Amino acid sequence: MGRFEIGSYEMSMEKLNKKSLNRSPRIARFRAGWAIYRQNLLGKIGLTLLVIFALMALCSFIPPLIDPMYQPMTGVDPDIAKSTGPSLRHWLGTDFMGRDILSQLLAGARVAFMVGVSAAFMSIVIGTTIGMIAGYMGKFVDTLLMRLADMIMVMPTLLVVLILSALFGQLNIWIIVLIIALFRWPGVSRVIRAQTLSLKQRPFIEAAKVAGASHMRIIFRHIMPNVLPLAFLYMTFRVTSAIIIEAALAFLGFGDPSTVSWGMMLQWVWKTGHMFKAPYWLLPPGICISLITLSFYMLGRAMDEVLDPRLRKEAETG
Amino acid sequence: MALLEVENLSIGYHSQKGYIHAVEDVSFSLEAGKSLGFVGESGCGKTTLGMALMRLLPPNGVIREGRMLFEGNDLLKKSDEEMREIRWKKVAMIFQAAMNALNPVHRIEDQIAEALLTHDPMCSKEEAMKQVEDLFVFVGIPKDRMRDYPHQYSGGMKQRAIIAMALACRPALIIADEPTTALDVIVQDQILKEIKSLQELFKISIIFISHDISVVSDFCDDIGVMYAGQLVEYGDRQEVFTSPVHPYTKALLSSYPTVTGEKYKLEPIPGETPNLINQPSGCRFRHRCPSAGVSCKTESPVWLKLTPTHRAFCSSIR
Amino acid sequence: MELTRYIGRRLIQIAIIFFVILTVLFLLFRLAPGDPVSRMVDPDMTPEDAEFLISQLGLDQPLGMQYLYYLKNFFTGNFGESFHYGQPVIEIIWARLPNTILLFTTAIILAALVGIFLGKIASWHKGETTDTLMTLGALVTHTVFLPWLGLILIWVFAYKLDWFPITGMLSEEVWLDPGAGIFTKLIDVLHHMILPLATLFFIHFGSYLLIMRSSMLETLKEDYILTARAKGLQEKVIRNHHAAPNAALPVVTSVGLSLAFSINGGALTETIFTWPGIGRELVMAVSQNDYPLAQASFLLIAIVVLLSNLVVDTLYAYLDPRIRY
Ligand SMILES: Nc1ncnc2c1ncn2[C@@H]1O[C@H](COP(=O)(O)OP(=O)(O)OP(=O)(O)O)[C@@H](O)[C@H]1O
Ligand SMILES: [Mg+2]
Repeated sequence: MGRFEIGSYEMSMEKLNKKSLNRSPRIARFRAGWAIYRQNLLGKIGLTLLVIFALMALCSFIPPLIDPMYQPMTGVDPDIAKSTGPSLRHWLGTDFMGRDILSQLLAGARVAFMVGVSAAFMSIVIGTTIGMIAGYMGKFVDTLLMRLADMIMVMPTLLVVLILSALFGQLNIWIIVLIIALFRWPGVSRVIRAQTLSLKQRPFIEAAKVAGASHMRIIFRHIMPNVLPLAFLYMTFRVTSAIIIEAALAFLGFGDPSTVSWGMMLQWVWKTGHMFKAPYWLLPPGICISLITLSFYMLGRAMDEVLDPRLRKEAETG
Repeated sequence: MALLEVENLSIGYHSQKGYIHAVEDVSFSLEAGKSLGFVGESGCGKTTLGMALMRLLPPNGVIREGRMLFEGNDLLKKSDEEMREIRWKKVAMIFQAAMNALNPVHRIEDQIAEALLTHDPMCSKEEAMKQVEDLFVFVGIPKDRMRDYPHQYSGGMKQRAIIAMALACRPALIIADEPTTALDVIVQDQILKEIKSLQELFKISIIFISHDISVVSDFCDDIGVMYAGQLVEYGDRQEVFTSPVHPYTKALLSSYPTVTGEKYKLEPIPGETPNLINQPSGCRFRHRCPSAGVSCKTESPVWLKLTPTHRAFCSSIR
Repeated sequence: MELTRYIGRRLIQIAIIFFVILTVLFLLFRLAPGDPVSRMVDPDMTPEDAEFLISQLGLDQPLGMQYLYYLKNFFTGNFGESFHYGQPVIEIIWARLPNTILLFTTAIILAALVGIFLGKIASWHKGETTDTLMTLGALVTHTVFLPWLGLILIWVFAYKLDWFPITGMLSEEVWLDPGAGIFTKLIDVLHHMILPLATLFFIHFGSYLLIMRSSMLETLKEDYILTARAKGLQEKVIRNHHAAPNAALPVVTSVGLSLAFSINGGALTETIFTWPGIGRELVMAVSQNDYPLAQASFLLIAIVVLLSNLVVDTLYAYLDPRIRY
């Protein structure tokens, strides 16, 4: 009698849940997460800033359409051959060659997103795959992959790219993105590995094994959906580090010379000796790099709170 | 005069779902040198009661009403500083989660000596260490393990170290919250015996909290049975154990096999504990009570005085 | 003792990692497009000198032999000659190394100590204005772009206010003055060091503060903190003696894990402030195609990172008895 009662209680709970949600569980989970996210002030600020940067990136196509002198890299104001302060024609002024700083800044936003998101996405794909394989396979494979991760973890990515550009000459922006991705996966793979290890103990993995699913199928069908939220969280942190590395590289003069990134703009200010004379030129790119990093970081922290029930408990009791 | 007198104590927690009535209207008293046991299933408020006696409830916990007279003074009227001096010197506690109750980065001897040094400013470091040595002898840990760190101890040793710590200041009262649940049966038995002999040796009062009524009835002079935050039966060990009155006590007693033989059938208590947020009217146990009558649904139970030392909180008997 | 065994084990791991780095670097330098000989031997050398260097570096041998030569040269400190300086590479990097270590370790240690201290305070005032301000400040300093911060500091404090020298590590007039005492010289170095130090410090302490804060909040929920409270200890003792030592452990871990990232920042800082360190030497060597110097600086930086990692691990083991015993 007792057991039956407990069972029926659970069943009624389930019905209750279904009724009150009445939507697919994924959407419901997303809504619940979003509700928590919205309470987070930093998360909101971060998201707002990111939207602004995204708009900047979208707007980067407009100035060159208005006048070819607004081409960020090649467009030069025919009347100006040196750096000038903000004016009606050039809202943020011009650089040492008479190029429009605002256009460069907008183009820089596009490059930052491109570099950040693609490098982060690649490193997350690599890190998640390796982490899942290491955690699921265990033993020899695990040891080997994790030692590899340790090794790459101690490599200073910026200096590695420097050495590679010494050997292979100027690096194309996509090669830079690829190198960043190849060197920034170990952190992710460790986290995913730990998560996989704990998932492996769960009955549904055991059940899939008994049902004869292949390793690949278990990893990608059963484990991956469960680690993806975590992987996504880490992606936001990887975006920041990719943007920083690319900017630093460009700042040192090893960026892709055919792209205008914020780091490149800073290098121009610095190398042409304008840093004491042209604050209108020095400030915007630095502020943009710092702010975009900050906003991805805040986004990540807010998402962390959504994903980590422990922090929520803290909010409840404290 | 009793060492501890608790009158109409009600405790609750604020949570996101609402106010949780964790302990309701509990009264009891404890003479110096005696032991009192509280039993009840998980979540019935035993730990909450113990923590409230030390005034160590988490930030969201509140003592809503009642008095806790310790040596004639109401603990609820003490300032934080006065309370701090009472803790451990007068009232010590052995926690439920004893496995993590010791700080991993400090030596065990230092953690015990710390209690002595805090409460006796005249005590020198050497004296304190000497006393720690004596305590180790009492609880049966070899002296050469004093300088170890907690992770070097087995679960049983940790529990002994905590008992030693609880005895350090020769408190008048020790609250032992399931001191042995995490240990295996043989060690459990040893430790219980040790606590008992030390209690008699030092004439310390004990409040013993457990979910195992057979342990409590072996160990304590008086027994209080708790159900969903309320005391439902209270009395002398012999009376409660041999002639239980409340249906819940009866059910508890038949849930456990006795050491002396197959006197009772092993039989789980049917049903779920009631919701502590929205309390049902009438008797809280009535949904699970085999002898619930019509009146149990509407009327709250009353205390039934069976003998001067034995009472039960039930209306369905006679 | 267990601690020495632990360090020994880590040393072996580090040696293996370094060996792999050494080998990969060798392969890269020999197999990258272009002529490996011209990469290691200054094109402006006299043919006799070049001949000598080629045979010394084993560049006329098959690849396998070259590798053995390479290893031998590494362990005897023979990295060839810098194209730019025309001096043995080893002399240059030995001269630069102490400057890097001075700047880098001071900054990291200072950042960790301040981060731990402020993070503790922030956690204690959780939800109050102090906490909000500290968290926000930490977030901002942690994410500000390092080269830009450096430039701004130079602009404000060296150029506008003229409190500190704009670049360099030493002032010639002080160091060439025979009358200047050691103390004056030290002050001079310190004077040059403040701005680069501040740059590196600001970038790092924020993340340590944030980690310490959240770690402290987690630690305060532990059972042993409840024990400490029940023992009637003062809140100050609970916080400083029971919570903080446990909460600081993740900060130490994070210092170790972020060392590789930190040294990137070190190189950038040195370059901006023309601090004569090994990171700046690497950057310059790469831009001047001075391959021998670039290779050796990179290897040395790798050694610095690995050894700092060992130091951090040892410190961790020292702080956490669970690892030590
Ligand atoms: N910090 C808290 N916040 C909110 N509710 C709590 C808190 N601590 C306990 N409770 C609730 O109070 C009730 C009593 O909990 P308590 O820990 O006292 O039970 P217990 O009898 O000690 O159980 P167990 O045998 O499992 O230790 C439970 O319903 C529990 O969910
Ligand atoms: Mg409990």
